[in-house]
Amino acid sequence: MRLWEETDDGAPGTVPEATTERRRYRGPPRRAAAPMLIQTLNGLVYGGLLYVLAVGLVLIFGLRRVVNFAHGSLYMVGAYVGYTVTAVAGFWVGIVVAVLVLTGIGVILDRLVFRPLQDEDPIVTMLVTFGLLLVLEDAVRTIWGKDFLTVQPPPLLAGVVHLTGTSFPVYRLAVIGAAILVAIGLSLWLRMSRVGLYVRASSVDPLTTGMQGVDTEFLSATVVAIGSGLAGLSGTISAPLVALSPSMGGSILIDSFVVVVTGGLGSFTGAFIAAMLIGQVHNLGVVFVPGAASMIPLVLMVLVLIWRPGGLVKAGA
Amino acid sequence: MTLLSLRNVDAYYGRAQILHDVSVEIAAGERVAILGRNGVGKTTIVNACLGVASVHRGQIAFGGRAVSTIRHFTAARAGIAVVPQGRRIVPGLTVKENLLLGGAVNRKGAWTIDTVFELFPMLRERTEMAGTALSGGQQQMLAIGRALMANPDLLVLDEPSEGLAPVIVDGLADTLRDLAASGTAILLIEQNFGLVHRVAERYYLLSKGAIVETGWLAGLSMETLKKHVAV
Ligand SMILES: Nc1ncnc2c1ncn2[C@@H]1O[C@H](COP(=O)(O)OP(=O)(O)O)[C@@H](O)[C@H]1O
Ligand SMILES: [Mg+2]
Repeated sequence: MRLWEETDDGAPGTVPEATTERRRYRGPPRRAAAPMLIQTLNGLVYGGLLYVLAVGLVLIFGLRRVVNFAHGSLYMVGAYVGYTVTAVAGFWVGIVVAVLVLTGIGVILDRLVFRPLQDEDPIVTMLVTFGLLLVLEDAVRTIWGKDFLTVQPPPLLAGVVHLTGTSFPVYRLAVIGAAILVAIGLSLWLRMSRVGLYVRASSVDPLTTGMQGVDTEFLSATVVAIGSGLAGLSGTISAPLVALSPSMGGSILIDSFVVVVTGGLGSFTGAFIAAMLIGQVHNLGVVFVPGAASMIPLVLMVLVLIWRPGGLVKAGA
Repeated sequence: MTLLSLRNVDAYYGRAQILHDVSVEIAAGERVAILGRNGVGKTTIVNACLGVASVHRGQIAFGGRAVSTIRHFTAARAGIAVVPQGRRIVPGLTVKENLLLGGAVNRKGAWTIDTVFELFPMLRERTEMAGTALSGGQQQMLAIGRALMANPDLLVLDEPSEGLAPVIVDGLADTLRDLAASGTAILLIEQNFGLVHRVAERYYLLSKGAIVETGWLAGLSMETLKKHVAV
């Protein structure tokens, strides 16, 4: 039984035909009977991308108390920068440059937007970051146009692996691996390093942390830059899986908000668990109830919040 | 050497003026108290030194050097450690992590996590516990231990006896006296005269945001004291 129609270059074939529908990552092509294993793996791929994006939101919210509606646009800009650099210098350079560019954008955003807004009414910060989203989308539309663009995975990660009678693109496995590496790296940094300790302390009590001699403004700027760089990473590694369009950040942004809230606002562990969970249900939704797929994560969020109003894991954990 | 000085300071929260022309000075090795009832502006003096209350007039100097813009970390880096009112143990951090946080300024000296554990052995038995899970008295030790981790020249304590049982306050008095004996200057902000008279040698009396009296503790009359603090 051949359920996964892939070419040998490993491109998962999600480039949609020109439709008016809003573009988003949709997982694999719909095959109602795709085996459990493939389903689960695809859920992990989407969960991994979501995690890398959502954890940046958690970092930025933790230190600046700003809900960043532009985060999906940073993801989108990351994908486009990756696209252009990949065309010139190859995929790996593309990833590095995209992360660096987005880290730089994070530094600028923090200085011009987040830092001045941190003590403002949440409504103000939402409006401003929402405005930023529109600006970034327009900027990308101006620079790259509104046609769909595609990126090929690097030759090293092309092809498929054969798993119990079916096959799965190597690139997708690599995305799962990358997300796990980010999760491990972040948690080691936060748990084991001095600076990680200051980040955790500052996210619950910036004044007391500052009183101990920590420059919390600089720390926050650094963390926003990292969060923005992670959005860029998420964007570039998703580029070979989706069609690039200026609006590609929209629905994954909503899903990553769902992840942050479901995981427990401010919790890194919670974000990881929630991202994997949302990745799974999202994918099941795409396969079994395609018409309502984008609602399923929201339904899960509501159920979790009824069960545990603070989310899955307490903040700071 | 003067470790901390406020000269004619007016301090505000937004547009509300709290401190009026406050002058306070503490030299190395001194034991000084600021006495005053609830709400007279004692914590605001600390907050002015931390950049939380804004100073519109007058001058604050750390270690003899006037500071123009005070950030939260300025005092700590100048060797002034604060044990804030209510202790402010950071939630989500263990006892040990709270102590490590106190060492963030990276000032070298006699205080390390081991010497802090020698001073407060009960903390050593609870290193991995959440700091906020400790009792009030233990949290006060943790807050003092955290401040000591900065190897400060001056330790500022804002109402450290608040909410503690008398027997614990006795222990606190001993600890503060020992610290002073080892050369750390102490600024004790209190309404509890019992603690103040066992620790301080000099005092400032604060009333409605202004210093109304200052002098040696030995010369403080009972009437003045009763007028300005509950005894
Ligand atoms: N963050 C703040 N904003 C505005 N007013 C404040 C703030 N904190 C304290 N106050 C007011 O400033 C005055 C002095 O407070 P405080 O310095 O905390 O007094 P104390 O420490 O002597 O009890 C009080 O009237 C209090 O209501
Ligand atoms: Mg007070």
